[in-house]
This record gives sequence, structure tokens and C-alpha cells, in this order.
Amino acid sequence: MLDALLVAGQTTSADLISIVHADEARTSRALQRLLDLALAWEAPGGIRALSGVADAMRGLPVGTSGLRPCSPEPAAPEEVAARLAELGPAATALLRHVDAHGGEGTTGSARRTVTPAQAATPAEELISRRLLVPREGDAVVLPGEVGLALRGGRTTTDPVDEVPDLATTARDAALVARTAAGAAFDVVRRVELLLDHWGLQPPSVLRSGGLAVRDLKLVARELHVDEAGAALIVEVALACGLIAEGTEPDGTPAWLPTEEFDIWSGTPISERWARLVGGWLSSSRVPSLVGSRDAAGKSWNALAPELSSGLAEEARRLALQVLAEVPDGKVLAVGTGVASLVQRIGWLRPRRPTVFAELVSAALVEAAALGVSGAGGLPPSGRLVAEGDLPAAARAIEPQLPRAVDQVLLQADLTAVAPGPLETEVARRMHLLADVESRGGATVYRFTSGSLRRGFDAGWSALEVREFLTSVSQTPVPQPLDFLVDDVARTFGSVRVGHAEAFLRADDEAALAALVHDPRARTLGLRLLAPTVAIATSPIDVLLPRLRELGAAPVVEAADGTVRVSRPDLQRARSRRGRRPAGAVEARQAAQVQAVATAIRAGDRAESSRPSTATTTSPSGALAALREAIESGSTVVIGYVDNHGATGERVVDPRRLDGGRLSAFDHRADDVREFAVHRITGVRRA
Amino acid sequence: MSDGPLIVQSDKTLLLEVDHPSAPEARKAIAPFAELERSPEHIHTYRLTPLGLWNARAAGHDAEQVVDALLKWSRYAVPHALLVDVAETMGRYGRLRLEKHPVHGLVLSSTDRPVLEEVLRAKKIAGMVGARLDDDTVAVHPSERGNLKQALLKIGWPAEDFAGYVDGEAHAIDLDQSTWTLRPYQSEAAQSFWDGGSGVVVLPCGAGKTLVGAAAMAHAQATTLILVTNTVSARQWKDELIARTSLTADEIGEYSGAVKEVRPVTIATYQVLTTRRKGVYPHLELLDARDWGLIVYDEVHLLPAPIFRMTADLQARRRLGLTATLVREDGREGEVFSLIGPKRYDAPWKDIEAQGYIAPADCVEVRVTLPDGERLAYATSDPDTRYRLASCTHAKIDVVRDLVRQHAGQPTLVIGQYIDQLDEIAAMLDAPVIKGETPVKERQRLFNAFRSGEIGLLVVSKVANFSIDLPSAEVAIQVSGSFGSRQEEAQRLGRLLRPKTEGRSAHFYTIVSRDTVDADFAQNRQRFLAEQGYAYRIIDAGDLTAEPS
Repeated sequence: MLDALLVAGQTTSADLISIVHADEARTSRALQRLLDLALAWEAPGGIRALSGVADAMRGLPVGTSGLRPCSPEPAAPEEVAARLAELGPAATALLRHVDAHGGEGTTGSARRTVTPAQAATPAEELISRRLLVPREGDAVVLPGEVGLALRGGRTTTDPVDEVPDLATTARDAALVARTAAGAAFDVVRRVELLLDHWGLQPPSVLRSGGLAVRDLKLVARELHVDEAGAALIVEVALACGLIAEGTEPDGTPAWLPTEEFDIWSGTPISERWARLVGGWLSSSRVPSLVGSRDAAGKSWNALAPELSSGLAEEARRLALQVLAEVPDGKVLAVGTGVASLVQRIGWLRPRRPTVFAELVSAALVEAAALGVSGAGGLPPSGRLVAEGDLPAAARAIEPQLPRAVDQVLLQADLTAVAPGPLETEVARRMHLLADVESRGGATVYRFTSGSLRRGFDAGWSALEVREFLTSVSQTPVPQPLDFLVDDVARTFGSVRVGHAEAFLRADDEAALAALVHDPRARTLGLRLLAPTVAIATSPIDVLLPRLRELGAAPVVEAADGTVRVSRPDLQRARSRRGRRPAGAVEARQAAQVQAVATAIRAGDRAESSRPSTATTTSPSGALAALREAIESGSTVVIGYVDNHGATGERVVDPRRLDGGRLSAFDHRADDVREFAVHRITGVRRA
Repeated sequence: MSDGPLIVQSDKTLLLEVDHPSAPEARKAIAPFAELERSPEHIHTYRLTPLGLWNARAAGHDAEQVVDALLKWSRYAVPHALLVDVAETMGRYGRLRLEKHPVHGLVLSSTDRPVLEEVLRAKKIAGMVGARLDDDTVAVHPSERGNLKQALLKIGWPAEDFAGYVDGEAHAIDLDQSTWTLRPYQSEAAQSFWDGGSGVVVLPCGAGKTLVGAAAMAHAQATTLILVTNTVSARQWKDELIARTSLTADEIGEYSGAVKEVRPVTIATYQVLTTRRKGVYPHLELLDARDWGLIVYDEVHLLPAPIFRMTADLQARRRLGLTATLVREDGREGEVFSLIGPKRYDAPWKDIEAQGYIAPADCVEVRVTLPDGERLAYATSDPDTRYRLASCTHAKIDVVRDLVRQHAGQPTLVIGQYIDQLDEIAAMLDAPVIKGETPVKERQRLFNAFRSGEIGLLVVSKVANFSIDLPSAEVAIQVSGSFGSRQEEAQRLGRLLRPKTEGRSAHFYTIVSRDTVDADFAQNRQRFLAEQGYAYRIIDAGDLTAEPS
């Protein structure tokens, strides 16, 4: 209606009503409403749209009907019709094409100033008859009056007051509910699985901020979904704040589960589902674009920050609302159903850009994947979601979800089947003791010697394993599994590995025993492994002189077992030559004095807060302290080993930490310096 | 949530809870399209594979039935993606048809032009087809019928073969059921094979596959070529056919290394067909020696690769494959499907056992510990000799003696892989041994003696694995096997499963060296047994004497 008004410009209400392709009474009512809303007003010359309305509507390139306003002094409809009648078939076809595609085109090589008689091409025929009006550049537009004439005097060829029907078919409501619940359960399970996995092996964040295509493929494989499904799952996790950018211990940015995830995974499945749906519903993310290419031909990565649209949320809510109009026992028809829903929404919201339709169909796919809808219809839980009542939706879906089980079926082929979702604690233990072979509504585990060994590594004993298996099994533990547990227990720990700095070998058992038990040798950390072999926790350089002090006469063995004689090489350096240019000496001295003064001040600060040696910290501790300093902008004292191997202390303000290097403002050098992180022996607050 | 017995996993496995009241019904519903992968005691695992789905299509099931069965019996919601995949996979079968054209002979036609375009663009296919007859039809060289089917399967568009079969030279064959009757499942198997034209019948060892073959021949009423694994089994086929059908000894020929007869019914060994001299197969002409109306492949899972190539040229003849398992260690199940035909009949082991046609078996693994000296030798040996060392330990020989003593009076087989070990055992037990070098005559004499009860104990090498009927064996002791071969295990167990008098159960012992590769391989084989539903026990060799028999 408003569109028609804009097309017509200033006009009478009768004219206006006549060009809207709809029931007359309804059109008058609509016009009255526009007048009430003061979007249109009755000017002396007829009804006009409020100035500004046109601009607001022109935010989009064309009106909903695709027609432009009439020319300021339009030709009479009869005259336009006459001109149209003169056209050749090619020109008519061209004109209709322009009309159907936004009323705008480019002329290319067509001449602008021609008379109908001179016109050589279809485009020139149209321009010469002013059926297309040239604009700046080589653009031409189709004036509104021509469009109206082409469309039989109306702004649209189809009536606009008929609500497009939804194509539906009958489908058992119980099936709809079950399908939806199944999908809901699956999506919760998948999110949990994915984030458990990412907690251990986080994918890195791309420089542009997204998730690498390779990582997305991995997710898809891991979760048994296609890549679109995988993209939806990671995007929903992001929308719910279950994942965020974090850093791995080595400082590379990675996608990590948040603390929110821990809270989330502690709640019942139905609430988790409601949370995911809530996040999805109100998010502006557009997972459906992942994998497609943008205008520049660059493909969209999942989790990329630009991957959002202000229309996404509206598209989802609207899609659900319209879907909720489908009564129970009916669902959208296969094939035509989605198209009809998109059309209905296009009618309800005519002024949305074309991408809106895509968003709506994507929203329907996503709703099905998330278990909001099932088999093309909304179950009771989905209706509640459409109404926005998520807690009620969670309560509604609860009875439909598979119940958690706490027992598994152990079988003689060394598999265990959990015939439903396992309780978290049992699941965690089963994961430790067995490998997962198949997932879904049920989980199939397989016990292997490797998986059982994993349990032993985690500190389980054969007895505990057996007790656990007996407690979770509905049936007696099969004998082969018992044997497998025993076999693994028997070989577990038969070879032991430890760490030693040096070993001592002696054929004289008594001498070795004496040495190990000598109280003066206690600091060496000697331990007897066998009557003739002991190990030491101190390195050879320490061990050797100490043993000599204790009266032993040790010989060093090389890696291949041969005896190594230690005769120190005499070391010499080359004498230095060189001469300094005169005059530079004074300048250098002045600079040195300056530097010394700065260094002394820094030294004073270091001194003021020092226990005489910088406390050595573990590398990870040092990194943590440095990060903390970067965040708080504080000054720290670091112990630093310089190029010559000497340990010194520096007072620095850490700025940035990456690639194994710390860049920090060094108070002594009075400048920003780079420090190799592996040379930092300790960090202490200044 | 419904309470069905079936759980459909997203990785396309189906878990069937056996103890569920409606499990039998559900099993019946999913059996046509899902392959039974494992059948241990509580939960049976089926898998949806493209081959399985196509087999179902070939048997006349459509995607809707499959989807309905899944939805109906599933406890939880069925993953949507899986349903879509089922429909899509099943839709692929039959888009292409091999047909007989009245003018152009064999043609490949399609109801779906893009599919035809796609396959014709595949490089492998291009060489096998001739001129394009019209938009939807392309001529096929008759000689490429098999190769084309194989290639189409590989690219995922299996063709349905409607080109029909030649009738072959007629020859009257009837079942002579005066003293026995065909078991219901046997006649069902033969019937469904005949209705399908060509294909494979899967029956457990000891379920009487020979009779299914005989029944199929009676359907065909034509000259028949039977391909079997070895000479002894060829003789058994012959004896069986003479006893159970109207055929006489003169009508049945044997074509093997020793004898080369071509008669209306000819039984040939795989070996003689695949013998190669100077790069050619001299005995291949047997395939064309007569106008065969039916070709029977015994133990189809062992079909050697060259026979596959030959089979590709025999697509115009009816082909019946008989096997206990479609599992091939070499993974060529697809070739069986495309060249011999889809699965036409399948009965799980346990079902037939439950019907009393095969004997139940008690499977026991006996673990021996290697003596210290041998353990050291084992630990320091090359990886490729380890298995031999582990399986031939002397500790096993004592166990064999104990077991034989325990089962004194029951017909016993000792089965092994390594001849030295078998000779040693035979010497110790004072029993005859059958190995590769034993002449066929001698073998048959011994087998007959064993069958009649003259000999109560026989030591056999792997020559006895296949197709030798020793219905009286009650105890089998396996001392070594060919690594982890699962079908070998099936075959050996099969030796025991022929029904016993007095309903006694069979005993199957496997002697395994603890903590060696032997045990690892044994685990693999036993997993197969457990998957077949045979719960096995493990006992220590030391406990054996205490074990009541």
C-alpha cells in the first residue's frame, strides 16, 4: 500500500486503491491505517506519503513491488500503452526483463539521444520512447508509470492481500516429538563430546579469528555429522558462551571450553538443551554460511567474527512462529513445505532483503538439527520455544529424552554396551577403562589390554577394576574379561622406568653398598638398583669430585661402555687487535656515565627488593608470572642468563610474550628489549 | 521414548537387545538389510552397509520398508542423517539396468540420465561400453558384462542385471528324498536363490550346504559345473550327489589334478582351474567345455582372485555361491556381490543350532606357560619366527595328551598348522596323521575309518579345514592355526557342528601359549567365536587335570 503510494507519488485515494492489486475494502482500510499512523497525509493535491518515508523505504534499492516512483510529470496511461504497443518483440522482452529485475539496467553501447525512427537496437527503441529513462553513467531506470502499464495498471501482478498457504501433510504428533527429542539429545551429546575433546586438544584460532577448515572437518568426523552440522554445533557452543578464545600453555591462541561449560555440563540434559536453544535463538551468528564464499570469493570459516547478521535472530523467531501455526498432527510437506513457509514470511515481512529468505530456510534446518522441530513440525517443546518460554520447553522435552542408565552389559567378546546415556561418573570411568567403539543413543565400549593399562596407569588396581565392572554390569562379568584384567595386571609394571643423572657400576658389591650407605654421600642421592648397580640423582660433575673425596677412585664410562680418561684441554683465545677512532672516547665515556647512572638506579631498585639470588621458578611458573605482570602492567625482577652464561638480574616492565620471547622495558637499558624466555631463570615482583 | 529392542547408532550400527521380548520380531525386520556383525550373549550388532542395503534392494525391499523398520523398532530417535543416507544409498541401486535389447544385444540403460552421464564419464567404464544408442541407453560388449558390473559397483552405482541367463544344456536332475527330506531352510534357500537368478546362500558349516546345491541343480535341470576347494571335498560332493539325487556315478565327472573328466555334472577344484603354465591357464576351457546351465561355487569366501576374473566372463550363466561367511580376509566382498550375485539367503548360526540341525559347542581356551628356556628363545627370536616358536611349544603336547585322555572314547580331531608338531603329537599319541603329502586315497581311507568309528583319534593339518565331512567328531583340539584367521576358526568349529547322536555337545579346545603372539592371535579368533555367540571359557593348563570332563 505504502509502496503503491510511493510509486504513484501524489495521487487521489481512488487512483491509489485502483493500482493496488487487492480487495478494495481492505485497501481502503490499509490506506486509512497509513493516514492514522501519519505515514501518509492528505495534501491539497491528493494523498502523499510523508516526506522521509520515501527515504526510509529507499534504504533498500527498490520498493517491495520492485517499481520506481513515477516520473514527475507522467505520461497518461493511454499514451504509455500506445508507446508500448509500438515496440518490437525484442524490445518488449527486454523491458519485461528490466521490470522483473529491479527496474534498473545499464545501456552499454546504446545511444542516449535518439528518436524512435533512428532506434537501431531494442535498448534504443525503449530509450527513444522514454520507456527507459537514462540516469547518470550509462544506467537506465524504468519509470513507475511504465511499470504500472506493464503490470496491467497495478503495482503487482499477483494479489497482495492473500496470505500464502503453508503446504502441510499429516504426520503423527508422537513421531514429531520423538524425532525432535532424538535430535535434541544428539545435539547436547555432541556439544559435550566436542568440548570434552577440545578441552584436551584445542584447535587454534585463525589469525582472522575463525576455526580452520581442517579443524571443522575433524569435528565433523569426530561427531559423525556433515560439515554444516559441525558448523552449527560449534557456532551454538559459541553463542552460548561455552567456548571462547583462550591461550594454550605455550601461548598460542586456541578455542577452549569456558568455565561456563563446566556449569552447563553439570545440569540435566533438558536444561542443557534449553540453554543451547536459547543461545541459538538469540544469536546473530549465521552458521549456514560456513563453507560458502563471500562476494570477494573468500570462504567463510566457522567462528569467524564477521559471520553474523542482524537479521538472523528475527529470521529464527519468525520461522518458529510461523511453524507454530501448523497444527498438531500436521507438518510441513516434504519438498514444498519449506518453500511455502519462506513465501509466507516473505509476505509477512515484505521489506526484508533477499538474504532474509535464505536465513529463514537455514533457521528451519537448524531448528530441526537442534531438536526444536522434528520431521517438519513443532512438538510441544518446540511450541514453547517459539513462545520464548525456554524453562517450560525444557520441562516439556524432559520425558521424551532417553533416561540415563548406570549399568552396562558386559559381553564375552570384550565389549560393553551402555543401552542409553550413561551417568557422568560411570561414563568417565568407562572411558578410562575401555575404548569407545560406537556412539549414539547407546555407547559401545571395547576393553583391550591397552585401555585397561590406561586404567592401571591412572592408579587403579586389578581389584578395583574388577569391583567396578561387577558394580556396573547387569550381568556376571564374562570370564575372558576377567582373564584380560589379570593378564594386564600381571604385566603391568614389569618393566620400570625412572630418571637418574648418573649410574655407578661396581663388581665389588660390598664397596658399592658401603658407598651408598655412607652418610657423607647422602646429598648425592644414591640408590641401589641391584647389588652391583646404583644410580645417583646428582650429575657427573658433582658426583665425580665427591666420590673422590669419599676415597673412591671412579672411572667415567662413555655411552658405549668404554672408559673415558679426563684430561682437560688447554684453552686459548686469540689476542684482540683494533684501534678506536680518536674523539669518540669522550662521547663514549659520557654515554657510559649516563648508562652507568641508569643501571645503578635500576640496580638499586633490584637491590631494594632482593633476596640475594633471584629465586628460580619453574618455566611454567615464570610464564604465568610474566603474563600476570603484562596484564597488571607491573614491574618485575627477572633472573636472566646472558650470552656469556652469566646470570644477572634485570628490572623490567613486561609488555608482550610470544614466540618464546618476552619483550619488556628494561630499566637498566632504558629501552624496550627482547628476552629469550628459556633464559629467564626466575621472576619476582619488584 | 519408546521401548523398542533396537538402538540405532549414528555410525550406522544397529544394536539389538537379545533379551527384549520383541527382539525376534525386530531381528526379522532388520535381517534383510543389515549385516549381522557380532552376536555375543546380550547385544547383537548389525551394520548398515551399502552392500547390505543393495542386497536388500535386490531382494525386493525398498528404502521405505527399511526406514519404517528402523523407526518402528528403535528405542531412541533414529538419526535423521542416517535415514537420509539409507534412502540415498538404496536409491542408487537399480538406476542402471543391464538388459537384453532385441536389436543391440546387451545394453546398459538408465531411468536417470545424469547418472548414466556420470558413469559413462568415468574412465574405467568408458572402455567397456559401445555405441550410445539413445539418450538413456548404451550398448555393452557382452564379454564385459561382469567387468562392467564390478566397475559400476566400485563407483557406487551398482547395476541391476536383467539380461537373464542362458538355460544351458538340459539334464534331468531330481532329488531322491526316499530316505531323507530337505530341511525347511535348505529348500527355502534353494528357492530364493532360484527366484533371484544368481547369488550367494550363507549357511553355517554343517548346515548342509551341499544339499542346497543339489536342490538348486534340481531347479535348474541343466548341466552343472561345481567348483570346490580341494579333491577330498570334490569326492564328498560326488558321493553326496549320488546318494541324494537321481544322478549316477557315470553322470558325475571329476576334474582335478589327478582325473580330468567332463560329464553333465562336473566337479572341479579351484586349484586345477588356477594352475598356470607359461602364463596361461590351460584348464580354463573347462568353463566353456559344455553349455553349463548352473555354476556352483563352494566356499565362496575362499574364491581365489583368478577365479573372480574368470567368473566375470560367465555372467550369462546362473551362479550359486555357498558359504558359511561373507567375511573375506582380503575384503573382496564387493566382488562376490557384483560377480556372483547378492546374498539370497542367510540363516544365523545360533538359529539353526536352536532348531537342532547343528550341534552346540563348548569352546575352551587352554593356556599354557612357556618353559623358561623356550621363553628366552621366543623373546630373542625374529618376529617372523615367533609365532611358530610360540605355537609349537612342547608344553602343548602334554596338554593334548591330557585332553585326549579326558575324552577317551569320543572321536577326537587334533588340528594344527605345523607338520613337525603334528608328527610329534601323532607319534606321542600313536595316531594316524593326515597332511598335505598324504595321498588322496590314504586320506579317504582314514577319513572313512574315522567316520565309521574304527579310528577314534586323528591328527590333521589344515588340509582338513574345508568341506570334509566328519560328522562323528566330538572333540577338536586346535594346537596352532594360521595366525588370526577368523574363517579358519569358523571352519574348524564347523567340523564339530554336525549333529551328534544323543544330543551330546561338541568340545572345541584351543591351546594357546600365554603372553605370546599366539595368545594375541587367539584373542582375535576367539573374538570371532564370541561374536558368533559362542561364549568360551579360559582355563589354565595346570587346572586341566582338575577339570571334570
